[in-house]
Amino acid sequence: MNLFRSEEHLQRWLADRKPGATESVGRLCELAHAWYQHRLAPGWRPRSLEQNQAILDRLGLTGDFWRLG
Amino acid sequence: MDALDLGVRNFLYGRFVETGRSPSVEELGTELSLSRKDAEATLRRLHDAHALVLERDALELRMLNPFSCVPSAWRIHAAGRTWYSNCAWDSFGICAALHTDGRIEASCADCGEPLIVEVQGRRPVPDDYLFHVLVPASHWWDDIVFT
Repeated sequence: MNLFRSEEHLQRWLADRKPGATESVGRLCELAHAWYQHRLAPGWRPRSLEQNQAILDRLGLTGDFWRLG
Repeated sequence: MDALDLGVRNFLYGRFVETGRSPSVEELGTELSLSRKDAEATLRRLHDAHALVLERDALELRMLNPFSCVPSAWRIHAAGRTWYSNCAWDSFGICAALHTDGRIEASCADCGEPLIVEVQGRRPVPDDYLFHVLVPASHWWDDIVFT
């Protein structure tokens, strides 16, 4: 899970690799907040796969690539 | 996850955030009055449950996601301390977990030049860098270090 300066840099890095999914860092920031905001809470409990999938879905991260299981 | 595993998990996260380093198996046993055998078994269960990540060849913590327990190429300055993360996602995750702004020091995976991102009020500055995930979600945990 990497960061790139621009689309040009990303495409050069991908070269012969099979592309995965590309998002803006703004979307990444939203994702990280939704995923980790309760990680240190005293009442933390593990999320189910369905709960994790719902987080991705809410952010529009849908399709086969983003299916967790 | 039962009460013992949850208690150990919460102790590890709490101690790591408090001190900036991960407790050893010996410390874990002493602090929570666990035998070494029970402490090791609990760590392995938490690893298998993806609640933490152990080193491949040792019973030592590699990740308490979003934190990296070992130095990495991802440095995050937040809450008065420098942390390491495991990837781009976890870098922003550290600010999210600590509920604070921060500064992410990373590099472009292509050219290697530094990329600095400030997190201000849950927003990245600048916001025009790109995030790429190579591995499909269903395979993230096949090799979480590579992912």
